[in-house]
Amino acid sequence: MRTEGYSEGLTASGSSVKHYVFAILACGLTTLVATPLREQLELANTVMLFLLTVALIAARLGKGPAILASFLSVLLFDVFFVPPRLSLAVSDGKYLVTFAVMLAVALIIGQLTTGLRRQAEEATRREQQTRALYGLAQELAGALSLEQVVQATRHFFRYHLGTEAVLLFPDEGGALVAWPADAAHVLIVEPHVARTVYDSGEPAAFGGLGSGNDQPWYLPLRGSTRTRGVLAVAAGSTRGATGRGDRRLLDTVSALVATAVERLHFVEVANASQMQMVSERLRSSILSALAHDIRTPLTALYGTADSLALTRPPLPEPIRDAVESVRDQAFRLSGLVSNLLDMARLQAGRVTLRKEWQPLEEVVGASIKLLGPALADHPVTVSLPADLPLLEFDAVLMERVFCNLLENAAKYSPPGSAIGISARSIGDLVEVSVLDRGKGFPDDKPERVFELFERGTAESTVPGVGLGLAICRAIIDAHGGRIRAANQPGGGGCVTFSLSRGNPPNIPDEGPSVETDRS
Amino acid sequence: MNAPTPVVLLVEDEAQIRRFVRSALEGDGCRVAEAETVRQGLIEAGTRKPDLVILDLGLPDGDGVQFVEGLRAWSAIPVIILSARSTEHDKIDVLDAGADDYLTKPFSVGELLARVRALLRRQARAAEGESPVLRFGAVEVDLSRRVVLRQGAPVRLTPIEYRLLAVLLANSGKVMTHRHLLREVWGPTFVESTHYLRIYVSRLRQKLENDPAQPQHFLTETGVGYRFVA
Repeated sequence: MRTEGYSEGLTASGSSVKHYVFAILACGLTTLVATPLREQLELANTVMLFLLTVALIAARLGKGPAILASFLSVLLFDVFFVPPRLSLAVSDGKYLVTFAVMLAVALIIGQLTTGLRRQAEEATRREQQTRALYGLAQELAGALSLEQVVQATRHFFRYHLGTEAVLLFPDEGGALVAWPADAAHVLIVEPHVARTVYDSGEPAAFGGLGSGNDQPWYLPLRGSTRTRGVLAVAAGSTRGATGRGDRRLLDTVSALVATAVERLHFVEVANASQMQMVSERLRSSILSALAHDIRTPLTALYGTADSLALTRPPLPEPIRDAVESVRDQAFRLSGLVSNLLDMARLQAGRVTLRKEWQPLEEVVGASIKLLGPALADHPVTVSLPADLPLLEFDAVLMERVFCNLLENAAKYSPPGSAIGISARSIGDLVEVSVLDRGKGFPDDKPERVFELFERGTAESTVPGVGLGLAICRAIIDAHGGRIRAANQPGGGGCVTFSLSRGNPPNIPDEGPSVETDRS
Repeated sequence: MNAPTPVVLLVEDEAQIRRFVRSALEGDGCRVAEAETVRQGLIEAGTRKPDLVILDLGLPDGDGVQFVEGLRAWSAIPVIILSARSTEHDKIDVLDAGADDYLTKPFSVGELLARVRALLRRQARAAEGESPVLRFGAVEVDLSRRVVLRQGAPVRLTPIEYRLLAVLLANSGKVMTHRHLLREVWGPTFVESTHYLRIYVSRLRQKLENDPAQPQHFLTETGVGYRFVA
């Protein structure tokens, strides 16, 4: 009865009843072996046999059985070897000292031996853990997808720590999603706890693994730039992992997983930008090839007609008219193709702006010059304030804006009427307007004229397909500005766009040198 | 001109374009040599010793920069580039390599002939030696005395303005890229400061043009540079 209670009490400390039984049997065996040799052996030698037994038990069976064996040895030694035999009584007082020393030595030997044994076990466990971690690190380093990371992590927890783990990663919307998909069968994860851990970057822990608490551990997967996800580990079974070591182990694992996830993320980013670059290059080379293939015959057509029109002696009038018409139509077609290609380029994705600080006046002058004959019937008045700051824009694209706006104004207003270009500063913006004396824009849909293939009047006799203003809007949008159309109170259309003033660079002054003065 | 009829070398791979350019040039009193590739063009340039080269940028066996660099190794004859509008960068590169002018396809024959004549004239003038006094519009520039007059009245220019004016006048008719002008006037460390150049060109226009907003002499080649025409 007593023995049972004793072993039950010790079971809690981790050894099984079997070990105690073995310890008792071992002590009995030693007694059996030593009894026939009683006559030949000194009592001191018998004591040695018992101490050996205790040492072996300590080494093999652990601390509890060793303590039991210590007491049992002293008892057996007293009963079976110290005279008077088969009684607890002691004939000589000096044997009491022998008992005390024997017990003390047995306990110390047991203690030391079990300590050594535990250290050896601990070392082995650590070595196994390190090897498992190394395996995990290797597997994670080779992982090519999130699935593989999840699999490797779960495998590690299941086979090396005897517990289950779930990983949570944010989806596109930022909500945390558990991996694997059947996570609920593995482990119940509290979404709000995972969220808190993810947001704060601090782990949420509830005691140690196997503390009897069912709550899982939550660890943030902290990458170098931000938290990449959450690792949830079930408490419960404790094979191999105990006490303070748990936390360090889990931290290590979560760091390993975070590194792997981060690596995958950067690989993905690199791949995406590589893809984008390749597709952008492809697109632009297709557009260039298209531009070349369309422009070459147009150039030949236009040039041939033009050189025919210039032939000396001049061609007969009807033929010359026809040739000039061919030339003009070829030129118009070429303008149309340019606009289509511009639009394709602008719509193809990111527009690369070659922004530079420059006076607005210059691009206005260049546009007027470029349009040349198309503006022959319309005097253009430019009124830009003298103190207009430098603006930052892509000159080539801004020239397209002015060309399209001026061409539009000329097309839709009566011959001889003036076209105006003006600008003014309003706060952080500079507003530029192009005004004409035409019919203006339809009142009900002034904004729709900027849409692709949209024209002010559907069945107009004026040629065009509604590309010009759409291109203007795309270019102004790319510059971060706004463009709008309106009608002037006195009649006529007005297109206004705004550009940000920004911080124009300074131009160092030269000083008052007047080298070329005649004085 | 030294030669009685100037010789123009036309390097272009499209037969249709070669045909009308050739007929226009011949109508204008030039002799025309043709080539279809960069290699052939350089050989022709070496054997025919043309007075001017018209060069297409999209040749099958190489780019214009290669041709111009090859040509500039031994010759300063003017080069006019024919290019599509989508190739702003190629245009700048080939102008920086030493080409003189460019036309965007499609181009008018009249415009091409005008550019050809202007560059041939410049070539001839350079051979004769330039007069120190130049006139354009109402402006008179005496390079020997460093005096600028507008309608007879002296114009005050800063040293940089004068230097810029002198460089532009010396390259009259030629397209000067931003980089080239910045290097000539400000020095090699300023080649990226295009806003300097733009401000100073605008100041020259204010002082020397009748309508600075619609200049007649200091012309903008958008995205490329400037051209001075007398």
